[in-house]
Amino acid sequence: MNQTLTIQKERLGTYLNQSFIEVGRATEFAIRFFKEAIRPPYEFKELLKQCYLIGYKSLPLVTITGFIMGLVLTLQSRPTLAEFGAESWLPSMVALSLIREIAPVITALICAGKVASGIGAELGSMKVTEQIDAMEVSAINPFKYLVVTRIMATTLMIPLLVIYADGIGIVGGYMGINIHGDVNVVRYLSQVIESITFLDIFPATIKTFFFGYFIGMIGCYKGYNAENGTESVGKAANSAVVTASLTIFIIDMIAVQVTDLFF
Amino acid sequence: MVKESGYQWKLGMFVIVGLFLFVGTIYFVGKQKNLFGSTIELYSKFNSVNGLAVGNNVRLSGINIGTVEDIEFLNDTSVVIKMVIKDEVRKYIKKDAVASINSDGLMGDKVLTITSGKKSTILINDQDYIRSKKAIEMDDLMVSVKKSVDNAGLITAELAQFSSSMNNGDGALSKLVSDKKFGNSVDNMVTSLEASASEFETFTTSMNNGKGALSKLISNERMGNSIDSSLTNVKTATKGLNEVIEAAKHNFLLRGFFNKKKKVEDKKLEEEQEIEEAEMKKALKMDQKNDSINK
Repeated sequence: MNQTLTIQKERLGTYLNQSFIEVGRATEFAIRFFKEAIRPPYEFKELLKQCYLIGYKSLPLVTITGFIMGLVLTLQSRPTLAEFGAESWLPSMVALSLIREIAPVITALICAGKVASGIGAELGSMKVTEQIDAMEVSAINPFKYLVVTRIMATTLMIPLLVIYADGIGIVGGYMGINIHGDVNVVRYLSQVIESITFLDIFPATIKTFFFGYFIGMIGCYKGYNAENGTESVGKAANSAVVTASLTIFIIDMIAVQVTDLFF
Repeated sequence: MVKESGYQWKLGMFVIVGLFLFVGTIYFVGKQKNLFGSTIELYSKFNSVNGLAVGNNVRLSGINIGTVEDIEFLNDTSVVIKMVIKDEVRKYIKKDAVASINSDGLMGDKVLTITSGKKSTILINDQDYIRSKKAIEMDDLMVSVKKSVDNAGLITAELAQFSSSMNNGDGALSKLVSDKKFGNSVDNMVTSLEASASEFETFTTSMNNGKGALSKLISNERMGNSIDSSLTNVKTATKGLNEVIEAAKHNFLLRGFFNKKKKVEDKKLEEEQEIEEAEMKKALKMDQKNDSINK
């Protein structure tokens, strides 16, 4: 009995120790990113390529998701608002929900699934097949070339994708409203614009930069630190998605708290 | 791998459209909040702002012309509202304009409504203060609603009592409403009234057009004249007869008859006077007796 308890204590200690080490290494990785990002030379070509792959290639997925989100949100909210006779508030409600919360979080989660796993798997397999080591040997800074470009690309592209998702979601909302009623598009858009303030747009946009940064950072960290063996590639991809998704929710909570505190 | 020229323009398009969307939204939201046009600032003092908040709309004739910029305490009883409105609507707002706080629907936000002045011809300027009207507070409204509801309750109770007495009471109106027998008798009365009216109609027709004496008396002028002359003749005849009787009284043949008749009348008068005196004496005696008993 006593022996089992000791073993459990030891396991917990090891787990905690490993967790702290992991956090320490991740922090070190993040700091290294900033150092490498500032220091020239800059890998613009690779950055553009990554922007294309992360941003443009994710657009169809984000478009479909954003449209469905707007449509479904409108259709689901309609009966509740209709109970109060407040159907005219539907455009305002849908726009505010989309811009403040739904579009940023859903887009970030979609990108965590698509991009973070992609980066994790890509860098993981490069690590496993010793391509990263080969780059170091051939005097190319693999961190700058592979990690900095990807993290920067996600940091810049996720906010853009969120803006697209907002726009498409609002279009979806318009479709949703017109399934049951008949609302003029100018009236709909003016109601949407009327209800939005800068306090809705800016905090939501700023947090998407953090979403993007952490998606890229976690994907790269998991892939870059993959262990030897093909199994670890899958592990890195899986772990990247899970950690990135969790981090998105934590950042979202912090962002909402901060916004609430200051505005 | 990705072709360089192929992906670069796609990426460019993606970024430009995204930024265009973002900037467009910022522009329209800013325009809505009057950030890009020229604006003026107005102030108004209120005792209570009723939950009006910074950012609420300012309306003139139902049109949004600006927003509430700031709300501050002036002293312990008044609050000053700073509003920013479009410069282009300044020409519609006179110095005697009045600001009031209203609700945008039952569940809606509060709005600051400006009613443009009518008497003054001088336009407002930037940084001017405009008069304010006390807003209708929900509590006041509820008090008035409660009063109305109480009155409605009283009226309903009285109405209930009235209808109950109408159904079960003994009054004429109640019987008229609920008693079948009474209804029948009223019906009969109306029927007989109708019959009487019909007979009266026949009577008046025959009176107007008939040939009988009464009809002629009413409608024939000649008949009227002849009656009038007959009555004059009767009057003259009566006068003559009086003179004849007076002459007869002095005639020695008839004097005895008239004297005898006068004596009988005088005697009858005396007897009546005696009876009255006796009754008066009797009443006096009774009064004296009652007085002595009371003493």
